[in-house]
Amino acid sequence: MIFAPSDLDREGPPEKRRAEPDAAPQGSAPGPADANGQAPAPSEQPQPTIGEPAHGVLPGQAPEAAPAPGRAPAVHVSRPSSRCVIAAGLRLPQARAGGLYRRENAAHLGAVAARELLAQSGVPAGALHEVLVGCVGQPHDQANVGRVLALRAGVPERVPARTLGRNCASGMDAVTTACTLIEAGRGDLFLCVGVEVMSQYPLTFGPGMTSLFERLSRARSPLERLAALASFRPSFLKPRVALMEGLTDPVTGLIMGRTAELLARDFGISREASDRFACESHLRAAKARDSGRLAREIVPHLPLGAKDGQAALVHDDGIRDGQSMESLAKLKPYFEKPDGIVTVGNSCGITDGATALLVASAERAADLGLEPLAEIRSWAWAGLDPARMGLGPVFAGALALEQAGLTLAEMAVVELNEAFAAQVLACQAAFASDRFAAEHLGRATRVGELDPARLNPNGGAIALGHPVGASGARLLLTAAHELAVRGERFGLATLCIGGGQGGAVVLERRQS
Amino acid sequence: MKERFQSLMPKDAPPPGACVRIERPEPGLARLVLDPPHRKLAVLDVALMQDLERALDALSGDSGLVALVITGREPTSFAAGADIDALTSIDDAAFALELGRYGQGVFEKLARLKAFKVAAVGGPVPGGAFELALACDRIVLADHPSTKIGLPEVLLGILPGWGGSQRLPRRIGVPAALEAILAGRLFDARRALRLGLVDRLTWPEYLLRVASDIAMGRLRAPRYDRGAWKWLVDKNPLARALIRRKVLQEVRAKTRGHYPAPLEVIPLILAAPSTPLEVGLEHEAAALSRLMVSPVCKNLVSIFRLSEDAKRLGKLPGGGEAPKLVRVGVVGAGVMGAGIATVAAQKGLWTRLSDVDRAPLDRALHAHRANVKKDAARRRLAPHEIDAALDRLDAGVGLAGLSGSEIVIEAVAERLEVKLAVFGELARRLSPRAILATNTSSLSVDALAERLPHPERVVGMHFFNPVPQMPLVEVVRGARTSDEVVHAVARLALSLGKTPVITRDTAGFVVNRLLGPYLDEAARLFDAGVEVQEVDRVAKDFGLPMGPLELLDEVGLDIAAHAAESLQRAFGERMASSELLGRMLAAGLKGKKGGAGFYLHGEKQRVVNPDLARLRSAAGNVRHEFPEAAIFDHLLMAMLNEAALALEERVVAGPRELDLATVFGMGFPPFHGGLLRWADTLGPREVLGRILRLSASPAILSRPGGVARFKPAPLLRRVAEASGKFHAVEAEAPPR
Repeated sequence: MIFAPSDLDREGPPEKRRAEPDAAPQGSAPGPADANGQAPAPSEQPQPTIGEPAHGVLPGQAPEAAPAPGRAPAVHVSRPSSRCVIAAGLRLPQARAGGLYRRENAAHLGAVAARELLAQSGVPAGALHEVLVGCVGQPHDQANVGRVLALRAGVPERVPARTLGRNCASGMDAVTTACTLIEAGRGDLFLCVGVEVMSQYPLTFGPGMTSLFERLSRARSPLERLAALASFRPSFLKPRVALMEGLTDPVTGLIMGRTAELLARDFGISREASDRFACESHLRAAKARDSGRLAREIVPHLPLGAKDGQAALVHDDGIRDGQSMESLAKLKPYFEKPDGIVTVGNSCGITDGATALLVASAERAADLGLEPLAEIRSWAWAGLDPARMGLGPVFAGALALEQAGLTLAEMAVVELNEAFAAQVLACQAAFASDRFAAEHLGRATRVGELDPARLNPNGGAIALGHPVGASGARLLLTAAHELAVRGERFGLATLCIGGGQGGAVVLERRQS
Repeated sequence: MKERFQSLMPKDAPPPGACVRIERPEPGLARLVLDPPHRKLAVLDVALMQDLERALDALSGDSGLVALVITGREPTSFAAGADIDALTSIDDAAFALELGRYGQGVFEKLARLKAFKVAAVGGPVPGGAFELALACDRIVLADHPSTKIGLPEVLLGILPGWGGSQRLPRRIGVPAALEAILAGRLFDARRALRLGLVDRLTWPEYLLRVASDIAMGRLRAPRYDRGAWKWLVDKNPLARALIRRKVLQEVRAKTRGHYPAPLEVIPLILAAPSTPLEVGLEHEAAALSRLMVSPVCKNLVSIFRLSEDAKRLGKLPGGGEAPKLVRVGVVGAGVMGAGIATVAAQKGLWTRLSDVDRAPLDRALHAHRANVKKDAARRRLAPHEIDAALDRLDAGVGLAGLSGSEIVIEAVAERLEVKLAVFGELARRLSPRAILATNTSSLSVDALAERLPHPERVVGMHFFNPVPQMPLVEVVRGARTSDEVVHAVARLALSLGKTPVITRDTAGFVVNRLLGPYLDEAARLFDAGVEVQEVDRVAKDFGLPMGPLELLDEVGLDIAAHAAESLQRAFGERMASSELLGRMLAAGLKGKKGGAGFYLHGEKQRVVNPDLARLRSAAGNVRHEFPEAAIFDHLLMAMLNEAALALEERVVAGPRELDLATVFGMGFPPFHGGLLRWADTLGPREVLGRILRLSASPAILSRPGGVARFKPAPLLRRVAEASGKFHAVEAEAPPR
């Protein structure tokens, strides 16, 4: 109560000193996660915990984190493991680009998800071997956004971090990379994040304006400067939209929507079928939201730039309640007029979002006392014609199933990313086609029927949105939760990738 | 005079000549190094000043001398300023004047030395240390986080009296000098350069080289120059007259006439640009001598010492640093919890706030972002610093996310069973080494610790509302709380920018316990017929930042009633609270948060609540003439008698700690030096007399409660009868 006598406020403003992100000795961070069950007192020399990474620590750089005297820091090699698990995971609500997250940035959004996951799982950040982050459009002011994100999430400086790019599958790539490292014995605990803030994709000047600026900066005399300015043409002001250019395949020149149109023609997919699929996606998502199913995997987020009094976003905001065939039918084709079938209504939305997963060896997860969401049974990446990139799930899915020794019919849940309704339907057709299998997959028979009831049972990207770098991780999270909800064993998460690739992961949930 | 100087000599002072070293790194260049063996950080005490004078005398005879660099023993260790303790021990104005002139004279010798003089300084450069640098031709400053430079003398009730009030305005102009000297702020390196306090920044590693190069003319370093502004403002009588009026008005409003130092220093600064230096220095010395012997100065220095001593609580009793806590959990996102969380996050701690609902968490996040935005504008934070402050706070529903915390501070509802449930759950989830702290103001730490597996990890950490502004934290030691935990929490409080005071686990701890009778007396005075403003005015005239009835409104009448209840439960009749509060609450008056209490709190202004009269007891509506002195005694003697009881019970270690708590926790006027220091000035005998008079007064004897609060405390009787002082009561080891 009462106030500080202002005259005694002799400190002035607190100095601009930033706390060291890992100023606490790792060993002193108390938590049930300390694998050996005894967290040393903060004043004691920290005892390296099992699997504590020691690489990257320079003597004197982080004195508290230095190993006990006489104990040389050893490069960590853990037991190779063939069993990788998603030990824990969560995501933030996904928001339509230009909307609630328009003041967010990738590092912050990803860091929020990462911090929340570390807090809720009780895993001390210092126990991580690396932070792997999938992000497609890295902000120009956050180079290696994965590292920026990790530090902003409070991960100690000595834990390395990198950003992975495999276009729409970047978040899934982070997870399979973690598995590769675990299998190679290069670590057993990784934080994998998929994040995308498409709201912040920039507009840029074209080459005309760029060279004008170059000439200006090089001009030595007023005359040269004038000459440079005289080269200006109004067309220089036309911005280049990173979002549109990023969604266009530079090899084939096709924007993603047109690759879906190509599949629609190849497989004879109608506008009506597409719209029906899109409509169903919204209805399923709304139902999953209302039943609390989606809340299992989401933590609320109060976005940066939220107005005073605004509440945290609790759910994905792309879900349209009462989406109807009539309203979808009114939309004009967006990419190919007048005969195209792909509209903004039966495509995924441009979205911002972040998903964080802890990927660990099964043994490490058990040591940490975490009950895994699911085990990663197998995974595969495949390449195909960039113009028909939408079929990626068929190529990769077939490979992953083969590796797992399982069939499509055994998959209780299939999370197949809904880039475009036409593209999902094309995949469904291709999975079920003997001819496609023979011509493209080198298989005698088709991969199998994709039961619509098991396909994206809680809706997909058409309703929930497709924050490109995050979606791969989001599919894994959603599939794993769905296995738990249904008490089922096997699931498939797969997606198509701009540039002509597919990625697929087979998940297995062991009954406890 | 020389003999009298000797009386100020530190006991452990080395033989003459040992404090200042002359080095000759190259022909023509001399380097003066302040390196007193008896101090960790050099202090401009008599020993050092005399050695400095000797060194300057020696150099003045050196015809080959071209340049001089004056520096500390390390680039980031120069000097801590004048020997405050010695200066404020002086009670004789004539001697004070002599001493001021002596310091000025030594610095004048430096200024007149025939050589190009460069001060190479860094780390803390406050007060006299900066004045020493100001006497040089150029100042080079080490760019380091520990660097803090400025003239904070006014905060101690004196003024920069070794040339500072004259040389700083000449260097940086009148407006900037006024701001720097009146606020007493210490500036970081970059701001010091921007304001012109120094001429050049460099890294500590290059400090000596750059300073030598500038001194020898190998490196150009122009002196800070304000250009035309100097003529438009500093040398312009009209502009100065305007500034004078505005500044005096502001200072008078702020100090209410209680602080003489700003009023002494303002004319000195204003006159500086148009006065010859010798004349200005003479005025400066005279003003300094007047201030140095004033009680205000002694009281402010005493408070400064108390707060410096409190910084040692971050260390363990056996020596060594207490554990540093950087992962902080806060449970309960109400006003207190949210306040604690935002302060912790802004101070760079990884903070997680938890509540059972999402809505208060969102409110807390909004408030945090607004705080960071304000701070960013005020301190010109860079984008990455803003990001860091935002990133440090996250929020989640439930206790699950707190398992990695090194300390969790609970600020949930003030109900024992709620708090027990939270601590029980936390004890299961957290490492057994994590600290459980409670922000309770009315429950016992021991009661909360009782059933937990590690009671030694349970401690009280009592913040005051509003948390970002209130500088005190009561660290409450339960019967079983370990030393390590107490001091780790004190260290945490210090890292939050707060001043800790260790208290025993008794009702109200120290601040609320002393406020209890004081606030209740205020309510009773109103009930007995004194006007609201009259009660508050008496307190404010004394120097308190707000009146007791204003304070009750601010705190909230419901909260105050709750606190009073718990005090009454613990201490009985002497804490019995006036029925007025109950009547007000029944009438729906809750204070500022509800818009109405003793005052009506409008958007812009505040007026006395006119409906209040009908809530008075019958006696109060008959107009009573209460002399001001009676009002004053009711308020202050009630508090003081309780303080004597608390001191005897060792709620805090001793009288110094109690004074610190009153100044930082309730805004007790710093110029009085704290409650007990003020009582010592008044004389415990006089205090006893006044309390006895009150205890015998019919108004008090006849009232239905709170009579015993004027029964003189045994300690007060003993001190008064022995003609002693409260401050002579020995401090005991931190109480348990």
